Amino acid sequence: MDEYHFAANVSDVPDGGQELIELEDRLVILFRRGDDFYCIDDVCTHDGGNLSEGECSGFVIACPRHGAEFDIRTGAVLCMPATQPTASHDVKVDGDKVFVKINEAEE
Amino acid sequence: MRTDIRMFHLNKFALSTEADGQIPPSVLAAGVELAGHCASYDSNSTGYLLNPELAAKGVLFGSLDQLLREHGERIKPHLMTRCVDPAVDRFSALHAAFWSTGTLLYVPRGVVIQKPLHAMSAISDGGVDLGHTLVILEDGAEATLIAETASPHEQAAGLHCGAIELIVGNGAHLRYVNLQDWGHGVWHFAHQKALVGRDASLQWTIGALGARLAKVNQHVALVGEGATSQVNGAMFTEGKQHLSYHTLQHHRVPSCKSDFLYKAALQDQSRTVWRGMIKVDKEAQKTDGYQRNDNLLLSSKARADSIPGLEIEADDVRCTHGSTSGRVDEELIFYAQCRGFTRQEAIRMIVIGFFQQVFDRITIESVREALALAIARRVREYD
Repeated sequence: MDEYHFAANVSDVPDGGQELIELEDRLVILFRRGDDFYCIDDVCTHDGGNLSEGECSGFVIACPRHGAEFDIRTGAVLCMPATQPTASHDVKVDGDKVFVKINEAEE
Repeated sequence: MRTDIRMFHLNKFALSTEADGQIPPSVLAAGVELAGHCASYDSNSTGYLLNPELAAKGVLFGSLDQLLREHGERIKPHLMTRCVDPAVDRFSALHAAFWSTGTLLYVPRGVVIQKPLHAMSAISDGGVDLGHTLVILEDGAEATLIAETASPHEQAAGLHCGAIELIVGNGAHLRYVNLQDWGHGVWHFAHQKALVGRDASLQWTIGALGARLAKVNQHVALVGEGATSQVNGAMFTEGKQHLSYHTLQHHRVPSCKSDFLYKAALQDQSRTVWRGMIKVDKEAQKTDGYQRNDNLLLSSKARADSIPGLEIEADDVRCTHGSTSGRVDEELIFYAQCRGFTRQEAIRMIVIGFFQQVFDRITIESVREALALAIARRVREYD
């Protein structure tokens, strides 16, 4: 998993928005904030909820099931009931294309 | 823990029209003298055999769809009518609409089958199994059925969407063993239900080793006074496997006994979810219900969710449940290492010791040994 995979076109993700992507047999969320892109697993580490269905404000996304919060830049957990970070993945932008490298070690 | 099936895409799978492949060797029936054997590959029957003496007594055993054509009048009244409900969810409906091949065991009133019968369901890499198992023991009948599943290799993909119906008549005794040993890329969805009649007994042993994701609903309904059921579950998960078992022991009438014991050992980043319920109806006085789930976590990234439950409407019952989850005790490993065992040998011994309580309840020696061996082979060394 040491390679970058095409995830989306830059124009596919509006500024301030997010896109749910199936990548390497897993679901990840690609966020865009200005010219920056971030990518984390679509999994709340509390009980496996879909973060992509939760509310996102700035750099914080909340799980719709029990309200756990994560930093979209690092996957760090910011609010209980989750206690473990969710996996975050490296992103690079090349022209109009966004690439993601799945970070297995962070699981 | 949610069971996330968003990565499951039904349109990637299709039923095969022929059994084009080699059936892997049996894990459970090696060296066992059998009364009958049947097998399927990709939900197509590859043939079945039954001791002619049993056939002469009216026993039916083999491919469900073929036997249904020949003996429909005896089988149809029991097929998805009073046991598994096709309307429970999408997978039960999918199965009811498209089930294919499967296994039938029909034992007439009073017939006792001493030797075990064996059923093997195999799929190809990426193949589909929609097999339906229907076991009907009429009043006073006795039988042992050993069922197992297999894939061509450990990482093989595929889909199993199946159902098991066990109908145990009054005074009948059934021992049923079910080993789920699909490849680690297989999606496994199953609805399983048993009806146990008056003074009848069911011993149901489950080994769950394979599948990428398994979602199993297992339901035992005690419908005749004096019925007893014992369920023994052994699960071993590794890699990113996710096995979810929902069990229900339903006491519908008085003076029945149910005893569920599930044990799971988890390594790597695997997950298990066990949700058990003892349900006692208002009429079911003098119920004796027990359920227990123990989990042994072999790595810091494995996770086991255990949710036992009781729903009791009667007021004269004995119902107990318990759940434990923990890591391997380092002192035990140190003790074993002091006596010359390697760390891996020590962990393997501890894991097998953990499962011994389940193995001790399994009355079929070949099954006990095969399960212990299959689990021991999978244990790796951890720091």
